[in-house]
Amino acid sequence: MSKTIEKILLEFDPENISLLPALKKISAAFGHISEKDMQKVADYFEVPLSKAYETASFYDQVQIKKQPNLVIKVCSGANCAMNNSFAVIREIENYFKIKAGDEFNAKVKLEIISCLGQCGEGPIMVINNKVYNNVTQSSVHGILEKWL
Amino acid sequence: MNKNIKIITKYWDVADLKKIKNYESFGGYKALHKFIKDKNSDKFADEIKNSSLLGRGGAGFPTGDKLEAVAGSGEKERYFICNLDESEPGTYKDRAIVDNDPHKLIEGIIILSLIIGARKAFIYINGNYGKQEEILENALEEAYKKKYWGEKILKSDYNLEIGIFSGAGAYICGEETALINSIEGSRGEPKMRPPYPTEKGLFGKPTLVNNAETISNISWIVIYGGEEYAKIGSKNSPGTKLFVLGGAVKKPGVYELPLGVTIRELIFEIGGGLAKGKEFWFAQIGGSSGRLIMEKELDAKLEFGNKDFSIGSGAILVVDKTTNIYDLLLSWTGFFRRESCGKCVPCREGTFRLWEIAKRLQDGEISEADKKAVKDILWTLENTTFCPFGKFAAAAFRDAVEKLKILK
Repeated sequence: MSKTIEKILLEFDPENISLLPALKKISAAFGHISEKDMQKVADYFEVPLSKAYETASFYDQVQIKKQPNLVIKVCSGANCAMNNSFAVIREIENYFKIKAGDEFNAKVKLEIISCLGQCGEGPIMVINNKVYNNVTQSSVHGILEKWL
Repeated sequence: MNKNIKIITKYWDVADLKKIKNYESFGGYKALHKFIKDKNSDKFADEIKNSSLLGRGGAGFPTGDKLEAVAGSGEKERYFICNLDESEPGTYKDRAIVDNDPHKLIEGIIILSLIIGARKAFIYINGNYGKQEEILENALEEAYKKKYWGEKILKSDYNLEIGIFSGAGAYICGEETALINSIEGSRGEPKMRPPYPTEKGLFGKPTLVNNAETISNISWIVIYGGEEYAKIGSKNSPGTKLFVLGGAVKKPGVYELPLGVTIRELIFEIGGGLAKGKEFWFAQIGGSSGRLIMEKELDAKLEFGNKDFSIGSGAILVVDKTTNIYDLLLSWTGFFRRESCGKCVPCREGTFRLWEIAKRLQDGEISEADKKAVKDILWTLENTTFCPFGKFAAAAFRDAVEKLKILK
Protein backbone atom coordinates (compact mmCIF):
# COMPACT_ATOMS: atom_id res chain seq x y z
CA MET A 1 0.00 0.00 0.00
CA SER A 2 2.77 2.42 0.90
CA LYS A 3 4.29 1.82 -2.49
CA THR A 4 1.17 3.02 -4.21
CA ILE A 5 0.81 6.24 -2.30
CA GLU A 6 4.30 7.20 -3.37
CA LYS A 7 3.36 6.37 -6.93
CA ILE A 8 0.32 8.61 -6.70
CA LEU A 9 2.34 11.44 -5.22
CA LEU A 10 4.87 11.25 -8.03
CA GLU A 11 2.10 12.05 -10.51
CA PHE A 12 2.00 15.54 -9.04
CA ASP A 13 4.46 18.39 -8.97
CA PRO A 14 5.28 19.15 -5.34
CA GLU A 15 3.62 22.56 -5.50
CA ASN A 16 0.73 23.96 -3.48
CA ILE A 17 -1.56 23.96 -6.51
CA SER A 18 -1.32 20.15 -6.63
CA LEU A 19 -2.02 19.60 -2.93
CA LEU A 20 -5.81 19.33 -3.15
CA PRO A 21 -5.79 17.22 -6.35
CA ALA A 22 -3.29 14.85 -4.70
CA LEU A 23 -5.33 14.60 -1.48
CA LYS A 24 -8.44 13.85 -3.53
CA LYS A 25 -6.74 11.14 -5.51
CA ILE A 26 -5.22 9.42 -2.47
CA SER A 27 -8.51 9.55 -0.59
CA ALA A 28 -10.33 8.04 -3.57
CA ALA A 29 -7.70 5.31 -3.97
CA PHE A 30 -7.62 4.15 -0.33
CA GLY A 31 -11.04 5.24 0.90
CA HIS A 32 -9.43 7.67 3.33
CA ILE A 33 -6.05 9.16 4.18
CA SER A 34 -4.40 7.67 7.28
CA GLU A 35 -2.13 9.75 9.49
CA LYS A 36 0.87 7.85 8.19
CA ASP A 37 -0.08 8.65 4.62
CA MET A 38 -0.85 12.24 5.50
CA GLN A 39 2.70 12.59 6.83
CA LYS A 40 3.97 11.36 3.48
CA VAL A 41 1.83 13.93 1.70
CA ALA A 42 3.13 16.67 3.99
CA ASP A 43 6.74 15.59 3.42
CA TYR A 44 6.28 15.42 -0.32
CA PHE A 45 4.76 18.89 -0.55
CA GLU A 46 7.14 20.22 2.09
CA VAL A 47 4.36 21.55 4.28
CA PRO A 48 3.70 20.90 7.98
CA LEU A 49 1.41 17.98 8.78
CA SER A 50 -1.04 20.50 10.24
CA LYS A 51 -1.28 22.30 6.91
CA ALA A 52 -2.04 19.06 5.06
CA TYR A 53 -4.79 18.31 7.60
CA GLU A 54 -6.03 21.88 7.49
CA THR A 55 -6.72 21.60 3.78
CA ALA A 56 -7.87 17.97 3.80
CA SER A 57 -10.41 18.41 6.57
CA PHE A 58 -12.27 21.14 4.69
CA TYR A 59 -13.39 19.17 1.67
CA ASP A 60 -16.17 16.59 1.43
CA GLN A 61 -14.29 14.56 -1.15
CA VAL A 62 -11.25 14.07 1.04
CA GLN A 63 -11.76 11.62 3.90
CA ILE A 64 -9.45 11.66 6.89
CA LYS A 65 -11.25 8.92 8.81
CA LYS A 66 -11.71 5.32 7.83
CA GLN A 67 -15.12 4.98 6.19
CA PRO A 68 -17.63 2.19 6.82
CA ASN A 69 -18.07 -0.40 4.06
CA LEU A 70 -21.44 1.02 3.21
CA VAL A 71 -21.76 4.78 2.77
CA ILE A 72 -25.24 5.89 1.79
CA LYS A 73 -25.93 9.45 0.76
CA VAL A 74 -29.33 10.92 0.09
CA CYS A 75 -29.89 14.33 -1.46
CA SER A 76 -32.09 16.75 0.42
CA GLY A 77 -31.90 19.63 -2.05
CA ALA A 78 -35.22 21.42 -2.50
CA ASN A 79 -36.17 19.47 -5.63
CA CYS A 80 -35.48 16.13 -3.95
CA ALA A 81 -37.12 17.32 -0.72
CA MET A 82 -40.29 18.10 -2.68
CA ASN A 83 -40.21 14.53 -3.94
CA ASN A 84 -40.11 13.10 -0.42
CA SER A 85 -36.42 12.50 0.07
CA PHE A 86 -36.89 12.93 3.83
CA ALA A 87 -39.26 9.97 3.81
CA VAL A 88 -36.53 7.95 2.10
CA ILE A 89 -34.04 9.10 4.72
CA ARG A 90 -36.35 8.05 7.58
CA GLU A 91 -36.87 4.69 5.89
CA ILE A 92 -33.11 4.05 5.74
CA GLU A 93 -32.70 5.20 9.34
CA ASN A 94 -35.29 2.68 10.47
CA TYR A 95 -33.89 -0.06 8.28
CA PHE A 96 -30.40 0.11 9.76
CA LYS A 97 -31.43 1.59 13.13
CA ILE A 98 -29.06 4.51 12.60
CA LYS A 99 -29.41 8.29 12.45
CA ALA A 100 -28.32 10.35 9.48
CA GLY A 101 -24.99 12.02 10.20
CA ASP A 102 -24.01 9.69 13.07
CA GLU A 103 -20.78 7.74 12.95
CA PHE A 104 -21.50 5.16 15.65
CA ASN A 105 -22.02 2.23 13.33
CA ALA A 106 -18.76 0.88 11.95
CA LYS A 107 -20.44 -0.86 9.03
CA VAL A 108 -22.87 1.66 7.62
CA LYS A 109 -23.17 5.43 7.49
CA LEU A 110 -26.01 7.59 6.23
CA GLU A 111 -25.27 11.11 5.09
CA ILE A 112 -27.60 13.82 3.93
CA ILE A 113 -26.05 15.62 1.00
CA SER A 114 -26.85 18.61 -1.14
CA CYS A 115 -27.59 18.93 -4.79
CA LEU A 116 -25.58 16.93 -7.30
CA GLY A 117 -27.25 18.77 -10.17
CA GLN A 118 -29.57 15.92 -11.14
CA CYS A 119 -32.67 17.67 -9.91
CA GLY A 120 -35.03 16.34 -12.56
CA GLU A 121 -34.65 12.78 -11.33
CA GLY A 122 -34.88 13.08 -7.58
CA PRO A 123 -34.78 11.84 -4.94
CA ILE A 124 -31.17 10.95 -5.60
CA MET A 125 -29.40 8.33 -3.51
CA VAL A 126 -25.72 7.44 -3.76
CA ILE A 127 -24.37 4.18 -2.33
CA ASN A 128 -20.57 3.85 -2.42
CA ASN A 129 -20.51 6.16 -5.47
CA LYS A 130 -23.28 4.39 -7.37
CA VAL A 131 -26.09 6.82 -8.14
CA TYR A 132 -29.78 5.86 -7.92
CA ASN A 133 -32.54 8.10 -9.30
CA ASN A 134 -36.20 8.47 -8.40
CA VAL A 135 -35.83 6.52 -5.17
CA THR A 136 -39.03 6.08 -3.20
CA GLN A 137 -39.88 5.00 0.31
CA SER A 138 -40.83 1.56 -0.99
CA SER A 139 -38.15 1.08 -3.66
CA VAL A 140 -35.32 1.86 -1.26
CA HIS A 141 -35.55 -1.54 0.46
CA GLY A 142 -34.83 -3.46 -2.71
CA ILE A 143 -31.80 -1.30 -3.43
CA LEU A 144 -30.37 -1.65 0.07
CA GLU A 145 -30.75 -5.42 0.04
CA LYS A 146 -28.48 -5.66 -2.99
CA TRP A 147 -25.66 -4.13 -0.97
CA LEU A 148 -25.89 -6.40 2.05
CA MET B 1 -39.98 41.58 -26.20
CA ASN B 2 -38.71 38.89 -28.49
CA LYS B 3 -38.66 35.83 -26.28
CA ASN B 4 -37.16 33.65 -28.96
CA ILE B 5 -33.73 35.15 -29.17
CA LYS B 6 -31.11 32.59 -28.19
CA ILE B 7 -27.44 33.28 -27.66
CA ILE B 8 -26.22 30.30 -25.70
CA THR B 9 -28.69 27.54 -26.50
CA LYS B 10 -29.34 28.29 -30.18
CA TYR B 11 -27.82 25.11 -31.64
CA TRP B 12 -28.12 22.79 -28.62
CA ASP B 13 -30.76 20.61 -30.19
CA VAL B 14 -29.51 20.92 -33.76
CA ALA B 15 -26.25 19.01 -33.64
CA ASP B 16 -23.73 17.35 -31.33
CA LEU B 17 -21.65 20.45 -30.61
CA LYS B 18 -19.20 18.46 -28.54
CA LYS B 19 -17.56 17.69 -31.88
CA ILE B 20 -15.45 20.67 -32.85
CA LYS B 21 -16.38 20.26 -36.53
CA ASN B 22 -20.05 20.74 -35.78
CA TYR B 23 -19.36 23.73 -33.57
CA GLU B 24 -17.28 25.31 -36.33
CA SER B 25 -19.96 24.64 -38.92
CA PHE B 26 -22.31 26.90 -36.92
CA GLY B 27 -19.80 29.74 -36.81
CA GLY B 28 -17.79 28.41 -33.89
CA TYR B 29 -14.34 29.89 -33.22
CA LYS B 30 -15.10 32.67 -35.71
CA ALA B 31 -14.99 35.13 -32.84
CA LEU B 32 -11.50 33.92 -31.95
CA HIS B 33 -10.39 34.26 -35.59
CA LYS B 34 -11.78 37.78 -35.58
CA PHE B 35 -9.93 38.63 -32.38
CA ILE B 36 -6.62 37.22 -33.64
CA LYS B 37 -7.01 39.07 -36.94
CA ASP B 38 -7.59 42.42 -35.23
CA LYS B 39 -5.12 41.91 -32.37
CA ASN B 40 -6.82 44.81 -30.65
CA SER B 41 -7.69 43.76 -27.13
CA ASP B 42 -8.78 47.28 -26.10
CA LYS B 43 -11.40 47.32 -28.80
CA PHE B 44 -12.95 44.05 -27.66
CA ALA B 45 -12.70 45.03 -24.01
CA ASP B 46 -14.77 48.09 -24.98
CA GLU B 47 -17.28 45.92 -26.81
CA ILE B 48 -17.78 43.84 -23.70
CA LYS B 49 -18.12 46.97 -21.59
CA ASN B 50 -20.65 48.41 -24.03
CA SER B 51 -22.65 45.21 -23.91
CA SER B 52 -23.30 45.92 -20.19
CA LEU B 53 -23.05 42.16 -19.63
CA LEU B 54 -23.59 41.36 -15.95
CA GLY B 55 -21.99 38.37 -14.22
CA ARG B 56 -24.26 35.35 -14.40
CA GLY B 57 -22.95 33.60 -11.31
CA GLY B 58 -25.47 35.37 -9.12
CA ALA B 59 -24.05 38.70 -8.04
CA GLY B 60 -24.60 40.46 -11.37
CA PHE B 61 -21.41 42.52 -11.31
CA PRO B 62 -20.57 44.24 -14.63
CA THR B 63 -18.21 41.94 -16.52
CA GLY B 64 -16.64 44.84 -18.42
CA ASP B 65 -15.57 46.60 -15.22
CA LYS B 66 -13.93 43.50 -13.80
CA LEU B 67 -12.17 42.86 -17.08
CA GLU B 68 -10.94 46.45 -17.33
CA ALA B 69 -9.50 46.29 -13.81
CA VAL B 70 -7.36 43.27 -14.67
CA ALA B 71 -6.43 44.40 -18.18
CA GLY B 72 -5.29 47.78 -16.89
CA SER B 73 -3.19 46.31 -14.10
CA GLY B 74 0.50 47.15 -13.79
CA GLU B 75 1.41 43.54 -13.07
CA LYS B 76 2.59 41.48 -15.98
CA GLU B 77 1.51 38.10 -14.72
CA ARG B 78 -2.28 37.63 -14.76
CA TYR B 79 -4.70 34.75 -14.55
CA PHE B 80 -8.11 33.91 -15.87
CA ILE B 81 -10.44 31.53 -14.06
CA CYS B 82 -13.69 30.09 -15.38
CA ASN B 83 -15.96 29.49 -12.40
CA LEU B 84 -17.73 26.21 -13.05
CA ASP B 85 -18.11 25.27 -9.41
CA GLU B 86 -21.85 25.26 -9.79
CA SER B 87 -23.34 23.94 -6.55
CA GLU B 88 -26.41 26.01 -5.75
CA PRO B 89 -29.16 23.48 -5.09
CA GLY B 90 -31.53 23.20 -8.03
CA THR B 91 -29.06 24.77 -10.44
CA TYR B 92 -27.52 22.88 -13.34
CA LYS B 93 -27.25 25.50 -16.07
CA ASP B 94 -23.45 25.49 -16.29
CA ARG B 95 -23.48 21.72 -16.44
CA ALA B 96 -25.95 22.00 -19.31
CA ILE B 97 -23.58 24.36 -21.13
CA VAL B 98 -20.76 21.84 -20.89
CA ASP B 99 -23.02 18.93 -21.84
CA ASN B 100 -24.34 20.72 -24.90
CA ASP B 101 -21.78 23.23 -26.10
CA PRO B 102 -18.37 22.97 -24.42
CA HIS B 103 -16.56 24.76 -27.23
CA LYS B 104 -18.58 27.94 -26.81
CA LEU B 105 -17.30 28.06 -23.25
CA ILE B 106 -13.72 27.33 -24.30
CA GLU B 107 -13.82 29.97 -27.04
CA GLY B 108 -15.00 32.53 -24.49
CA ILE B 109 -12.26 31.51 -22.05
CA ILE B 110 -9.59 31.93 -24.72
CA ILE B 111 -10.84 35.35 -25.84
CA LEU B 112 -11.20 36.73 -22.32
CA SER B 113 -7.78 35.41 -21.33
CA LEU B 114 -6.17 37.05 -24.35
CA ILE B 115 -7.98 40.34 -23.72
CA ILE B 116 -6.64 40.60 -20.19
CA GLY B 117 -3.20 39.33 -21.19
CA ALA B 118 -3.32 36.13 -19.17
CA ARG B 119 -1.06 33.28 -20.21
CA LYS B 120 -2.66 30.74 -17.97
CA ALA B 121 -6.35 30.01 -17.57
CA PHE B 122 -8.08 27.60 -15.20
CA ILE B 123 -11.46 25.98 -15.35
CA TYR B 124 -12.54 25.39 -11.75
CA ILE B 125 -15.14 22.66 -12.03
CA ASN B 126 -17.46 21.23 -9.37
CA GLY B 127 -15.87 18.04 -8.00
CA ASN B 128 -19.08 16.11 -8.64
CA TYR B 129 -19.07 16.91 -12.35
CA GLY B 130 -16.86 14.00 -13.43
CA LYS B 131 -18.61 13.47 -16.72
CA GLN B 132 -18.43 17.15 -17.59
CA GLU B 133 -14.73 17.21 -16.75
CA GLU B 134 -14.23 14.48 -19.31
CA ILE B 135 -16.23 16.38 -21.94
CA LEU B 136 -14.11 19.47 -21.33
CA GLU B 137 -10.86 17.49 -21.49
CA ASN B 138 -11.85 16.09 -24.89
CA ALA B 139 -12.99 19.48 -26.17
CA LEU B 140 -9.79 21.13 -24.97
CA GLU B 141 -7.75 18.49 -26.74
CA GLU B 142 -9.61 19.05 -30.00
CA ALA B 143 -9.24 22.81 -29.71
CA TYR B 144 -5.53 22.42 -28.92
CA LYS B 145 -4.98 20.40 -32.08
CA LYS B 146 -6.61 23.20 -34.05
CA LYS B 147 -4.18 25.69 -32.47
CA TYR B 148 -6.97 27.56 -30.72
CA TRP B 149 -4.89 27.55 -27.57
CA GLY B 150 -1.34 26.63 -26.66
CA GLU B 151 1.73 28.22 -28.19
CA LYS B 152 1.26 30.69 -31.03
CA ILE B 153 -2.51 30.63 -31.26
CA LEU B 154 -3.56 30.54 -34.94
CA LYS B 155 0.01 31.45 -35.87
CA SER B 156 -0.12 34.69 -33.88
CA ASP B 157 2.14 35.70 -31.02
CA TYR B 158 -0.50 34.85 -28.43
CA ASN B 159 0.20 32.00 -26.02
CA LEU B 160 -2.24 30.51 -23.58
CA GLU B 161 -2.27 27.44 -21.39
CA ILE B 162 -5.60 26.10 -20.11
CA GLY B 163 -5.93 23.69 -17.19
CA ILE B 164 -8.85 22.07 -15.43
CA PHE B 165 -8.98 22.21 -11.64
CA SER B 166 -11.55 19.96 -10.07
CA GLY B 167 -13.09 21.04 -6.76
CA ALA B 168 -13.64 18.69 -3.86
CA GLY B 169 -17.20 19.29 -2.77
CA ALA B 170 -17.53 22.69 -1.12
CA TYR B 171 -20.30 25.13 -2.02
CA ILE B 172 -18.46 28.17 -0.75
CA CYS B 173 -15.69 27.61 -3.33
CA GLY B 174 -18.03 29.23 -5.86
CA GLU B 175 -17.19 32.49 -4.07
CA GLU B 176 -14.17 33.77 -5.95
CA THR B 177 -11.74 34.39 -3.10
CA ALA B 178 -12.57 30.98 -1.62
CA LEU B 179 -12.13 29.43 -5.05
CA ILE B 180 -8.67 30.97 -5.32
CA ASN B 181 -7.72 29.67 -1.85
CA SER B 182 -8.79 26.23 -2.98
CA ILE B 183 -6.57 26.26 -6.08
CA GLU B 184 -3.67 27.43 -3.94
CA GLY B 185 -4.04 24.28 -1.81
CA SER B 186 -5.75 25.87 1.20
CA ARG B 187 -9.14 25.63 2.85
CA GLY B 188 -11.82 27.08 0.64
CA GLU B 189 -12.63 29.95 2.95
CA PRO B 190 -13.40 33.44 1.63
CA LYS B 191 -10.78 36.16 2.05
CA MET B 192 -11.20 39.75 3.14
CA ARG B 193 -11.89 42.13 0.27
CA PRO B 194 -10.33 44.48 -0.73
CA PRO B 195 -7.93 43.65 -2.20
CA TYR B 196 -10.21 42.22 -4.86
CA PRO B 197 -9.02 39.29 -6.99
CA THR B 198 -8.79 41.69 -9.93
CA GLU B 199 -5.95 43.30 -8.00
CA LYS B 200 -4.47 40.44 -5.94
CA GLY B 201 -5.96 37.12 -6.94
CA LEU B 202 -4.43 33.75 -7.71
CA PHE B 203 -0.85 33.58 -6.36
CA GLY B 204 -1.22 37.27 -5.51
CA LYS B 205 -1.57 38.25 -9.16
CA PRO B 206 -4.46 40.07 -10.87
CA THR B 207 -7.11 37.50 -11.69
CA LEU B 208 -10.34 37.63 -13.61
CA VAL B 209 -12.93 35.13 -12.39
CA ASN B 210 -16.03 34.75 -14.54
CA ASN B 211 -18.97 32.39 -14.35
CA ALA B 212 -19.28 29.81 -17.14
CA GLU B 213 -22.56 31.29 -18.39
CA THR B 214 -21.09 34.80 -18.52
CA ILE B 215 -18.21 33.47 -20.59
CA SER B 216 -20.57 31.73 -23.00
CA ASN B 217 -21.91 35.15 -24.08
CA ILE B 218 -18.49 36.44 -25.14
CA SER B 219 -18.19 34.95 -28.64
CA TRP B 220 -21.58 36.44 -29.55
CA ILE B 221 -20.53 39.88 -28.32
CA VAL B 222 -17.26 39.72 -30.26
CA ILE B 223 -19.09 38.84 -33.48
CA TYR B 224 -22.13 41.12 -33.23
CA GLY B 225 -20.79 43.88 -31.00
CA GLY B 226 -21.64 45.18 -27.56
CA GLU B 227 -24.33 47.60 -28.72
CA GLU B 228 -26.32 44.81 -30.36
CA TYR B 229 -26.08 42.77 -27.17
CA ALA B 230 -27.29 45.68 -25.08
CA LYS B 231 -30.51 45.79 -27.13
CA ILE B 232 -31.53 42.33 -25.95
CA GLY B 233 -33.43 41.84 -22.72
CA SER B 234 -34.26 44.59 -20.29
CA LYS B 235 -32.68 48.01 -20.21
CA ASN B 236 -30.76 47.67 -16.97
CA SER B 237 -29.75 44.09 -17.39
CA PRO B 238 -29.30 43.19 -21.03
CA GLY B 239 -28.92 39.84 -22.67
CA THR B 240 -30.43 36.45 -22.11
CA LYS B 241 -30.22 34.25 -19.04
CA LEU B 242 -30.41 30.55 -18.47
CA PHE B 243 -33.20 29.72 -16.04
CA VAL B 244 -33.48 26.34 -14.41
CA LEU B 245 -37.10 25.53 -13.77
CA GLY B 246 -37.86 22.85 -11.22
CA GLY B 247 -40.40 21.63 -8.70
CA ALA B 248 -44.07 21.22 -9.43
CA VAL B 249 -44.06 22.48 -13.03
CA LYS B 250 -45.13 20.47 -16.06
CA LYS B 251 -41.94 20.99 -18.03
CA PRO B 252 -38.89 21.36 -15.79
CA GLY B 253 -35.56 22.08 -17.45
CA VAL B 254 -33.08 24.72 -18.60
CA TYR B 255 -34.54 27.60 -20.60
CA GLU B 256 -32.78 30.57 -22.18
CA LEU B 257 -34.86 33.76 -22.06
CA PRO B 258 -34.17 37.46 -22.32
CA LEU B 259 -33.78 39.13 -18.95
CA GLY B 260 -36.90 41.05 -18.01
CA VAL B 261 -39.24 38.14 -18.58
CA THR B 262 -41.75 37.88 -15.72
CA ILE B 263 -41.84 35.00 -13.28
CA ARG B 264 -45.42 34.30 -14.37
CA GLU B 265 -44.41 34.00 -18.02
CA LEU B 266 -41.57 31.66 -17.17
CA ILE B 267 -43.65 29.34 -15.01
CA PHE B 268 -46.96 29.37 -16.84
CA GLU B 269 -46.01 29.93 -20.50
CA ILE B 270 -42.58 28.41 -20.82
CA GLY B 271 -42.87 25.79 -18.11
CA GLY B 272 -46.46 24.89 -19.01
CA GLY B 273 -47.82 25.79 -15.59
CA LEU B 274 -48.21 23.39 -12.71
CA ALA B 275 -48.45 19.66 -13.06
CA LYS B 276 -51.95 18.23 -13.16
CA GLY B 277 -53.93 18.55 -9.98
CA LYS B 278 -51.40 20.84 -8.30
CA GLU B 279 -52.09 24.32 -7.07
CA PHE B 280 -49.47 27.10 -7.00
CA TRP B 281 -48.28 28.14 -3.54
CA PHE B 282 -45.04 30.07 -4.04
CA ALA B 283 -41.88 30.11 -6.11
CA GLN B 284 -38.32 30.33 -4.85
CA ILE B 285 -36.04 32.42 -7.04
CA GLY B 286 -32.30 31.72 -7.19
CA GLY B 287 -31.75 28.42 -5.41
CA SER B 288 -31.61 27.68 -1.68
CA SER B 289 -30.63 31.26 -0.93
CA GLY B 290 -33.56 32.62 -2.92
CA ARG B 291 -36.52 34.68 -1.79
CA LEU B 292 -40.05 33.29 -1.83
CA ILE B 293 -42.46 34.86 -4.31
CA MET B 294 -46.19 34.61 -3.75
CA GLU B 295 -48.95 34.51 -6.37
CA LYS B 296 -49.58 38.27 -6.29
CA GLU B 297 -45.88 39.02 -6.95
CA LEU B 298 -45.56 36.80 -10.01
CA ASP B 299 -45.56 39.68 -12.47
CA ALA B 300 -42.19 40.84 -11.19
CA LYS B 301 -39.46 40.87 -13.79
CA LEU B 302 -36.55 38.48 -13.69
CA GLU B 303 -33.59 40.82 -14.04
CA PHE B 304 -30.51 41.90 -12.14
CA GLY B 305 -30.73 44.87 -9.81
CA ASN B 306 -34.25 44.04 -8.69
CA LYS B 307 -34.83 45.53 -5.23
CA ASP B 308 -37.13 42.83 -3.89
CA PHE B 309 -35.29 39.69 -4.84
CA SER B 310 -32.11 38.54 -6.52
CA ILE B 311 -32.34 36.17 -9.47
CA GLY B 312 -29.15 34.56 -8.19
CA SER B 313 -28.12 31.55 -10.20
CA GLY B 314 -31.39 31.58 -12.15
CA ALA B 315 -32.92 28.54 -10.50
CA ILE B 316 -36.69 28.77 -10.05
CA LEU B 317 -38.36 26.27 -7.76
CA VAL B 318 -42.12 26.07 -8.09
CA VAL B 319 -43.81 24.89 -4.92
CA ASP B 320 -47.39 23.65 -4.82
CA LYS B 321 -49.77 23.51 -1.91
CA THR B 322 -49.31 19.81 -1.20
CA THR B 323 -45.63 20.36 -0.35
CA ASN B 324 -44.58 19.89 3.25
CA ILE B 325 -43.02 23.26 4.07
CA TYR B 326 -41.10 21.74 7.00
CA ASP B 327 -39.29 19.41 4.59
CA LEU B 328 -38.24 22.44 2.58
CA LEU B 329 -37.10 24.33 5.67
CA LEU B 330 -35.02 21.33 6.68
CA SER B 331 -33.64 21.14 3.16
CA TRP B 332 -32.56 24.80 3.16
CA THR B 333 -31.22 24.95 6.70
CA GLY B 334 -29.49 21.56 6.41
CA PHE B 335 -27.75 22.75 3.28
CA PHE B 336 -26.45 25.95 4.86
CA ARG B 337 -25.39 24.18 8.03
CA ARG B 338 -23.33 21.69 6.03
CA GLU B 339 -21.82 24.26 3.72
CA SER B 340 -21.04 27.03 6.20
CA CYS B 341 -17.25 27.11 6.06
CA GLY B 342 -16.85 27.77 9.77
CA LYS B 343 -14.62 30.80 9.42
CA CYS B 344 -16.90 33.20 11.31
CA VAL B 345 -18.98 32.42 14.39
CA PRO B 346 -22.33 34.04 13.48
CA CYS B 347 -22.58 31.93 10.35
CA ARG B 348 -21.25 28.69 11.83
CA GLU B 349 -23.51 28.89 14.89
CA GLY B 350 -26.42 30.63 13.21
CA THR B 351 -26.83 28.07 10.46
CA PHE B 352 -26.53 25.25 13.02
CA ARG B 353 -29.17 26.66 15.37
CA LEU B 354 -31.54 27.43 12.52
CA TRP B 355 -31.22 23.83 11.34
CA GLU B 356 -31.93 22.53 14.86
CA ILE B 357 -35.06 24.67 15.03
CA ALA B 358 -36.13 23.44 11.58
CA LYS B 359 -35.83 19.88 12.88
CA ARG B 360 -37.99 20.74 15.90
CA LEU B 361 -40.50 22.41 13.61
CA GLN B 362 -40.77 19.23 11.63
CA ASP B 363 -41.22 17.18 14.79
CA GLY B 364 -43.88 19.62 15.99
CA GLU B 365 -41.89 20.50 19.12
CA ILE B 366 -41.34 24.19 18.52
CA SER B 367 -41.33 26.29 21.68
CA GLU B 368 -41.87 30.00 22.36
CA ALA B 369 -38.14 30.33 23.06
CA ASP B 370 -37.41 28.91 19.62
CA LYS B 371 -39.72 31.41 17.98
CA LYS B 372 -37.92 34.25 19.69
CA ALA B 373 -34.54 32.76 18.85
CA VAL B 374 -35.44 32.58 15.17
CA LYS B 375 -35.73 36.36 15.06
CA ASP B 376 -32.33 36.85 16.69
CA ILE B 377 -30.61 34.25 14.55
CA LEU B 378 -32.00 35.65 11.32
CA TRP B 379 -30.93 39.18 12.25
CA THR B 380 -27.46 37.97 13.16
CA LEU B 381 -27.05 36.03 9.93
CA GLU B 382 -28.24 39.00 7.89
CA ASN B 383 -26.07 41.59 9.54
CA THR B 384 -22.92 40.17 11.05
CA THR B 385 -21.38 37.43 8.92
CA PHE B 386 -18.03 37.74 7.16
CA CYS B 387 -19.31 36.97 3.67
CA PRO B 388 -22.77 37.04 2.04
CA PHE B 389 -23.33 33.37 2.90
CA GLY B 390 -25.08 34.42 6.11
CA LYS B 391 -27.58 36.57 4.24
CA PHE B 392 -28.20 33.70 1.85
CA ALA B 393 -28.86 31.34 4.73
CA ALA B 394 -31.44 33.68 6.23
CA ALA B 395 -33.36 34.76 3.11
CA ALA B 396 -35.76 31.87 2.53
CA PHE B 397 -36.32 31.25 6.23
CA ARG B 398 -37.25 34.89 6.79
CA ASP B 399 -39.74 34.78 3.94
CA ALA B 400 -41.19 31.56 5.30
CA VAL B 401 -41.71 33.33 8.63
CA GLU B 402 -43.12 36.55 7.17
CA LYS B 403 -44.98 35.39 4.09
CA LEU B 404 -45.94 31.81 4.93
CA LYS B 405 -46.38 32.48 8.68
CA ILE B 406 -44.76 29.19 9.65
CA LEU B 407 -44.39 30.22 13.28
CA LYS B 408 -48.00 31.22 13.85
